[in-house]
Amino acid sequence: MNIYKNKKPAFFFLIPAFLFMIVFLYYPFLQNILNSFMKIKNLGGAAKGLNDPVYKNYLMLLQDENVRMALKNTCIMIVVTLIGQVGIAIILAMLVDNIKRGAKFFRIVYFFPIVISATALGVLFNLIFQFDGGMLSQLVGHNVNWKELHPLTVMMTPVTWQYVGFYFIILVTGLNNIPDELYESASIDGATRWQRVRFISWPLLHNVVCTCSVLAVTGALKVFDLPWVMFPNGAPLGKTWLTGTYMYYKTMQSPDIDYSSAIALVIVILGVLLSKVVNAIFKERDY
Amino acid sequence: MKKKKAASVNTGIIYAILAVWALTTIYPIGWVIMNSFKDKKKIMSDSFSIPLGKLFTTSNYTEAFEKVNMLSAYKNSIIISGCVALVVILFAGMASYALVRYKFKFNSALYNLVIAAMMFPVFSTIIPVFRMEYQWGIAGSGKVSLALLSVILPQIAGNLAFAIVVLTGYIKSLPVELEEAAFMEGCNAYQIFFKVIMPLTKPSFATVGIFSFLWSYNDLFTQQFFLRNKEEWAITRLLLEISSKEGTNYGLMAAVVTLVVVPLLIVYICLQKYIIKGMTAGAVKG
Amino acid sequence: MKKKVLSALLCGAMAATMIPMGATSVMADDGVSLNVTTTFAGTESNVQEYQDAVKAWEEETGNKVEDSSGSADETFKARVISDFETGAEPDVLFYFNGNDSNPFVEAGKVMSIDEIREVYPDYASNMNDDKIPASPVDGVKYAVPFYGYWEGLYVNKAVLEEAGVEIPGAETTWDQFLETCQKIKDAGFTPIAASLAKEPHYWFEYAIYNHDSFTTHTTLPTAIDDEAGKAWLAGMEDIKELYEKGFLSENTNSATADEVFQSFLENKSAFYVDGSWKMGGIKEGTDDVDNFTVTYVPGNGDRKSTDIIAGLSSGWYISKKCWEDESKRDVAIDFINYFINDERVSEFAGTATTALTNGVTIDESSLTNLEKDALAMLKDSTAVTGAAQDLLTQDERSPIFDNMPQIVEGQTSTEDALQGVLDAVEENKE
Repeated sequence: MNIYKNKKPAFFFLIPAFLFMIVFLYYPFLQNILNSFMKIKNLGGAAKGLNDPVYKNYLMLLQDENVRMALKNTCIMIVVTLIGQVGIAIILAMLVDNIKRGAKFFRIVYFFPIVISATALGVLFNLIFQFDGGMLSQLVGHNVNWKELHPLTVMMTPVTWQYVGFYFIILVTGLNNIPDELYESASIDGATRWQRVRFISWPLLHNVVCTCSVLAVTGALKVFDLPWVMFPNGAPLGKTWLTGTYMYYKTMQSPDIDYSSAIALVIVILGVLLSKVVNAIFKERDY
Repeated sequence: MKKKKAASVNTGIIYAILAVWALTTIYPIGWVIMNSFKDKKKIMSDSFSIPLGKLFTTSNYTEAFEKVNMLSAYKNSIIISGCVALVVILFAGMASYALVRYKFKFNSALYNLVIAAMMFPVFSTIIPVFRMEYQWGIAGSGKVSLALLSVILPQIAGNLAFAIVVLTGYIKSLPVELEEAAFMEGCNAYQIFFKVIMPLTKPSFATVGIFSFLWSYNDLFTQQFFLRNKEEWAITRLLLEISSKEGTNYGLMAAVVTLVVVPLLIVYICLQKYIIKGMTAGAVKG
Repeated sequence: MKKKVLSALLCGAMAATMIPMGATSVMADDGVSLNVTTTFAGTESNVQEYQDAVKAWEEETGNKVEDSSGSADETFKARVISDFETGAEPDVLFYFNGNDSNPFVEAGKVMSIDEIREVYPDYASNMNDDKIPASPVDGVKYAVPFYGYWEGLYVNKAVLEEAGVEIPGAETTWDQFLETCQKIKDAGFTPIAASLAKEPHYWFEYAIYNHDSFTTHTTLPTAIDDEAGKAWLAGMEDIKELYEKGFLSENTNSATADEVFQSFLENKSAFYVDGSWKMGGIKEGTDDVDNFTVTYVPGNGDRKSTDIIAGLSSGWYISKKCWEDESKRDVAIDFINYFINDERVSEFAGTATTALTNGVTIDESSLTNLEKDALAMLKDSTAVTGAAQDLLTQDERSPIFDNMPQIVEGQTSTEDALQGVLDAVEENKE
């Protein structure tokens, strides 16, 4: 077919979006890359010349223990989000797709966690994990210092929980793009529920799952609000740094803008590379 | 007979799993709403009990409504986030369609650029954007409409990348045969996009619209930078004013969260009804 | 169907944007429009007073205030700095006078009080010039102070009573204080509610104050082993000792400040060191304000217990841009004068410190016991110094302040932490 041989319309389709992104994202981020070679203290402040040597911040990144901790934790976070967020979301989406009554109800309530601000969720989870009189401490009957004993678990559980609904909605949408006739004809052919899921839903959902995985991986690199509210400054003892929280810390809490610009660039590069890996993994599958 | 029984047991299990997850998502929002009706002094010490009798109070809401002009802020929020969502749907849809269907040498480069754009933290791009917009005269002008525009523009850009990533995933799954059929009937690429792709992926557009609306609505950082005077404030910016404090007033905060969340849920419930099944190949032709 | 909804939404959005366009183009005809940015926003104390005063001034003078105040969080600070960088600065600014003001002072974008006095000799003449803080950049005074802060030891009386110990006072020494803490701990309470994870700076200030004096407290160390350096190290060791003896909240290394403050309010902890702004927090957080009092942090060495930390950390600025605009200059001066007269300062300050030559006038009968205790504490104080941390920028203090849990745990030595601060200072000097 040669619908798409004439490439002229493509430019019409691409230009508005990319124009917006060039002006409001790429050009400003170019500035960010330049900033990583300058001396800038405060966000919005003026640069005081070049760093000496100009690549100083990138050397610092290699030696910074907190960066190492952040990368390690973020790797864990990526695995947790892929399995926890996307995994749970797939199961829930498939299940909701297979029921007749109440699907709408579940679609609405699963959305709840995403709409509540991170500050409010942070307060809620702080109260749940609170040492003295927190919900969990009350459940086990004595005060347990959850945040110091299991910092990563306490940090990642709420984050995972919060975004399941996000992937759930994306997946449910994907499932709804599948025409009903496919299922009906499969039923007539005597396919079981499991067979329908395995041989119709899953292959057609393949691209959407790939999208979700890309979002999950990049999301794990970026996430900072809820972890920051619950574990500011990498507390306890610098064990909970994530790339997102460390960049925020270096931008706002302990401002060193040229350094945080360098961190931002590294995060962007990691995001692009990891999304390529995800896409490569999903491409090999053929149904 | 036996088969039916097994099926209903299965259905029971399905509902049980779904219900358990639903509990975890309903409980926190219930907790927030519950605490918004408690005296601020009681929340830290009594946060998991139900506000009945002496505990019950509406003072947090009266405090919120007394201090600020909620209606104008709601209006500003809906203008900002509504415009952002609409423009993002349109432009991201067009770009995704082109990225999926047209094969260029630079396809993957463009896709990488989109992923990169999604990764840019807002605080690394905001300063140059502010300078540009100030030079154009739309930021810091003191005019409400321009102030809203100064938030809308960067937010559109910020949400496009995410929307393109999601929409390309959906459009890839569309069978190309439908477009070929339309092409045979004499449609050009523009007509195919607006008459075939858009209606077919209506649920996807609704989803992207929902999230663009949501991110824009909750994006406090950009709002803090661009919305200066009271008349310009959107709801998240406004509510920062009544909840930010040394030694946070959790009662007020719970009320504030409730006030923020309600319009979001209304928008979501309105839009999610487009995420429905039944769009079939046959329906497109009409 | 969808099209209809979309177009309806679009039309609605369009129509809604048009309304304010018409509304804002109506400006005050005869008056001047003044751009004002302050930190009077959110639920800080005095927001209502500020807004009322602005309204009254507008009505009195016929001028208009374009108020873009915001809570002084990190985003707000970034906004103020980039406003000055971009040329979008306000005419009048009420803002911090310490390191946060360095970028726009260095750029020469605000007027010094002396320059203003050349034209308006009476400007801020009711202030004691010796008390007006100077910019850390050049030692020049730019901001007219309004009211300030002090830091003290808040006490939960009920806990002390149950533990059978006295409230520390002007005569209490550090060693006696440690004994008191031990008794409180033995009675089953937490002696000191503190969050080393989030707010270690109050304890840091007084701990090092106990190893220097009011004359030397605001001296930065230049080496680990100079006088100030030794004081800082010894101060950190004191905090470590408090931690090791179990006097601090059990979860001090991970708790938020709110969390430990709550344990103080709930009669689980005896002491809490914080600033004058916490007075309101106590009043709002408890039904029984009389159960709380505030006193001196017990002293050691050269520091008498009655030597306190207090200061004036914010003030009123006039931007150069406004000063050079003849039509605005008079109006801006008038606006600031409206706030810095004795009467208004007294009204805003309450029990806080001020730079007024004549001091504040307060009606004591309207005060709570806690406020009376605070006034008494201030009145009997023997010496005052500013906070040493104000000499450092956020990133310079972070090796100590953001690592306090690591320091008390022994993961980071006090020497390494201090060296980190010195290195950061050195680097920023370049």
